[in-house]
Amino acid sequence: MTKFVLTIAVLVSITGLLASGFRKNTVPVAINNIDSTASVAAFMEVYKVLMSPRCMNCHPAGDIPLQGDDNHLHTMSPIRGKDGKGVYAMKCSNCHQPTNSPGLNAPPGNPKWALPPADMKMVFEGRSPRELALQIMDYKRNGHKNKAQLIEHARDTLVKAGWNMGEGRKPPPLSYTEFVVAWDEWINKGGIAPAN
Amino acid sequence: MITVTINKKNYDLDIDPETPLLWVLRDVIGLVGTKYGCGVAQCGACVVHLNGEAVRSCVTKISRAAGQKVVTIEGLSEKNDHPLQKAWMEVDVVQCGYCQAGQIMAAAVLLRENKNPTDDDIDKALEGNICRCGTYLRIKKAIHLAAAMQRKNVKG
Amino acid sequence: MEQSKPTQTRRSFLKASFLAGGGLLISFTWIPESGLADPVKNIDNPAPWNELTGYIKITPDNIVKILNPNPEFGQNVMTSLPMIVAEELDADWQKVVIEMGPHDNVKLGPQFTGGSNSVRMYWRPLREAGAAARNMLMQAAAETWSAPIEEVTTKGGMVYHQKSGKSGTYGSFATKASSLPIPKGVKLKEVKDFKVIRSSQKNVEGLKIITGKPLFGLDYKHEGMLIAMIEHPPAFGMKLKSFDAAEALKMPGIKDVFQQQLYEDGFEQGGFDTRTFNDLLVVVGKTTWEVMNARKKLKVAWEPTGDTKDTMGGRNGKREVVVPGALETTTAQLEKMQAYAKQPAQQLRKDGDPETAFKNAAHVIERTYTAPFLAHNCLEPINFFAHVTDEKALLVGPLQAPGWTEPTLAKILKLPADKIDIQMTRMGGGFGRRAYGHYLIEAALISKKIKAPVKLIYTREDDMTYGIYRPMYMATYRAALDANKNLIAFHVKGGGIPEHAIHANRFPAGAVDNYLAEGWQIPSNITIGAFRAPRSNFNAAAEQSFLDELAEAMGKDPIDLRLELLKRAKENPVGKNNDYDADRYAGVLKLVKEKSGWGNTENSKYSRGVAAYFCHNSYAAHVVDIVIKNNKPYVERVFSAMDCGIVINPDAASNMVEGAVVDGIGNAFYGKLTHKDGAAEQNNFNRYRMIRHSEAPKKIEVHFVQNDKDPTGLGEPPFPPVFGAVANALYKSTNKRYYSQPFMTEALQQINNRKKSF
Repeated sequence: MTKFVLTIAVLVSITGLLASGFRKNTVPVAINNIDSTASVAAFMEVYKVLMSPRCMNCHPAGDIPLQGDDNHLHTMSPIRGKDGKGVYAMKCSNCHQPTNSPGLNAPPGNPKWALPPADMKMVFEGRSPRELALQIMDYKRNGHKNKAQLIEHARDTLVKAGWNMGEGRKPPPLSYTEFVVAWDEWINKGGIAPAN
Repeated sequence: MITVTINKKNYDLDIDPETPLLWVLRDVIGLVGTKYGCGVAQCGACVVHLNGEAVRSCVTKISRAAGQKVVTIEGLSEKNDHPLQKAWMEVDVVQCGYCQAGQIMAAAVLLRENKNPTDDDIDKALEGNICRCGTYLRIKKAIHLAAAMQRKNVKG
Repeated sequence: MEQSKPTQTRRSFLKASFLAGGGLLISFTWIPESGLADPVKNIDNPAPWNELTGYIKITPDNIVKILNPNPEFGQNVMTSLPMIVAEELDADWQKVVIEMGPHDNVKLGPQFTGGSNSVRMYWRPLREAGAAARNMLMQAAAETWSAPIEEVTTKGGMVYHQKSGKSGTYGSFATKASSLPIPKGVKLKEVKDFKVIRSSQKNVEGLKIITGKPLFGLDYKHEGMLIAMIEHPPAFGMKLKSFDAAEALKMPGIKDVFQQQLYEDGFEQGGFDTRTFNDLLVVVGKTTWEVMNARKKLKVAWEPTGDTKDTMGGRNGKREVVVPGALETTTAQLEKMQAYAKQPAQQLRKDGDPETAFKNAAHVIERTYTAPFLAHNCLEPINFFAHVTDEKALLVGPLQAPGWTEPTLAKILKLPADKIDIQMTRMGGGFGRRAYGHYLIEAALISKKIKAPVKLIYTREDDMTYGIYRPMYMATYRAALDANKNLIAFHVKGGGIPEHAIHANRFPAGAVDNYLAEGWQIPSNITIGAFRAPRSNFNAAAEQSFLDELAEAMGKDPIDLRLELLKRAKENPVGKNNDYDADRYAGVLKLVKEKSGWGNTENSKYSRGVAAYFCHNSYAAHVVDIVIKNNKPYVERVFSAMDCGIVINPDAASNMVEGAVVDGIGNAFYGKLTHKDGAAEQNNFNRYRMIRHSEAPKKIEVHFVQNDKDPTGLGEPPFPPVFGAVANALYKSTNKRYYSQPFMTEALQQINNRKKSF
């Protein structure tokens, strides 16, 4: 009996190690009922949205947000700060109101307007599809979200705000509904990262 | 009816809640120290304190200030003796003067949060404040002086 | 001791009178016989335009009030002009109060703030008035004390008779003094005895500014005042076709929406009557926000103007100017300029035989420079208050040249000048933009139509897209060297939309045997006007960059080359009317060379560029030190040398130079107004980039040449050479020359490319 248990334990461990890809610092989100083809296809749709200006501009590689449909560095160089909410007299909410300010070139708004914090930057800019998918599915790098929280995140008010950012800003390439469908599909079918 | 406290005084305003705080201050209440420069939060001439934070009043609706405390340049100090105001006079910063209220209000938040700011900190805090006349060097000098005054006062 | 006596260049009249309520009023009139040149149009004005008048009041309670006739926009004449009076008057500076004068064409002349002229123009008359007043007070005291005037002295607003131990305030003798005749031949102080002039005094309005007092035009309030805004066409070359204001009129607070014509057909415009749009769609309401909202509800149709005609007045009679109707795009404009640059152009100056010299040259260097339209972008947007009735008009707001606008107002309102009262508020920046008073006419016409006091406001977008820009320029410079690398010929062919920038008599004219200057222009419907050192602000970029390249080709240090040329211009000048003093020009170069440690190894970590220029009667030279910071060129230090004669208020003067340096860096790196199909492509600060805190240098060290020459201007002279010095420093920093302003985008590309290739 013990030999049997031991073998299973070893097999499970090996499977577990293989599944984690031998990465010591990642904590993959646990998913059942994997369908990698469908999952990857769905993610490629998700990727289009996440790398579009309305999302990527606030997930920059550096500590200054991006701005505009051409992803230029945000004028006036506001910086992330420790909590992602800016610093001193250049805090995000100093200009970005709870709602969009009316008019062209006036700041878009949301009560939660901010960048990710300095210790959890959740960078999109410069990420390949594979890198981004792995990052989002990594508990240590995705803001400590489990599967349920990841699904919920697409329903977050700040995420939704990407589709309603005011005059002169192109919405993401999928409609919100299409995005949510793709997001759910990707995660529910395994949260698989593409090969590249 | 929207009630706002401005420079420690209460105002009951029968006004469209969408009206920017800037125009309430200037056109309704008559406090014209806060300036209009661009209307899209790019120049900083309109900076006031909303519960101590340096908001841009040209895009901040009066509804956001309902029941809150607003401080403008006119209310920064009672005797014109905020360390920044004293330092501004000492360094003789101003040229045309139009941007200076906004610069001072932004600097006030910096000095509250950072007792010994570097030039880099000043840049981070005031990059959103344009001075068309180019008094940036003197503004930095005055902020350093004000910070020193503040540290001296604290020491007693 | 200097005597005050009429010279052949001006007449002055002083008059004393009694102040109502007691005290002394000294008013003065000073007329230069040779007209002061119109700084923009390069024409002479008739003498009466230049009559300067002002006053000093001394009240019994010992306050000295001096009139500041020239509007204030940050150049601090409110402090420096009274300092001049206080010096000769020997008043207690702390007790001198500045009164901002209203416009009074009868008493006060043109009151034009511009051309860096205020101190220069008022230097003499203010000193004479101050000295006369002091003398009369001494006389009054001497008579009161029955003492000989030779025994009477003054100090800090007090009169003393040491022998008897008597003393008294100026105020106590003011009334008596007012009945005395104006003394003849009053001696002015010697420069070495100055106590107030050449000391640093604080800005007299500083406290008001930093405590938020109402000072600016936008702050002005009047009982029953309404707010008006104009919905201007979206592009140059377009005009109002029709509009539907039904929705707008329903908006809260709105009083009226109507169409208003600015100038009638055939109206004769003066030089400062420039306007872009003539058919105005006006919205009037109770508050600014309400009017802004109502504008959004307007349904407006625009149509092209086609070619139109403007009638320009002038001393030589009126002439018609065709304004082309084409909707312009910047890329096409550049191509057009390139084509024009190849055509024959108007000769502006020729010395020797440049054609032959170039033909026989061993080496010819040719470079072409361009610069875009610039918007002034004063931080206080265009605005003006007007209250016009059938009998009179009151206008209050920011304006540089009331004397230029008032005659237009008088004509259009059909009111005599003495029924028009223009009061100048402090300006949130001028830079030349506010010399063009179209917005006063607009405000006045609106007020007249709605029969109410009204403030006209331009939003930032309205302001930035209205025009009256700094022109777009191009200039080709050529230099011919002989086999020994001597400079034998120099040729500049400059053009612009709608006018060129060439000052044909400026350096290096006079220093080169064979010299040719030519100019061409392309008319346009994009309006332009004076912008801080008009024309010079481009010349000093192009010419000073070219001299740098020339120095390199000749194997010389850039400062040495300039000094050599200046030496030639002094000892053996070429041609006539060389518009600069070679000694003073060399002086600022030598001073900046010394103070910047030019050539010292300790400065080798900096990429250094130098430039110098003479304009508006003063000399300026800068050394600009660039480093690469975060993959971007950053001007870390600037050394500036100025010669503007006697510096009235040294610290404030330094402030002016610092500001001009920052302004120059910002415009050199970023300033750019482009068009697409007639529409300005930048309409707010998100697209029109301004220099900000992090980009200002860490250090700007300002040095003034110490001499006792009569003071000349400082607002404009330091500005133009900054562009050239920046371009030259960028060359050292990025190993590339920059020919097309603004520089930053190209410099960043160059830095990036160099990184990739290493």
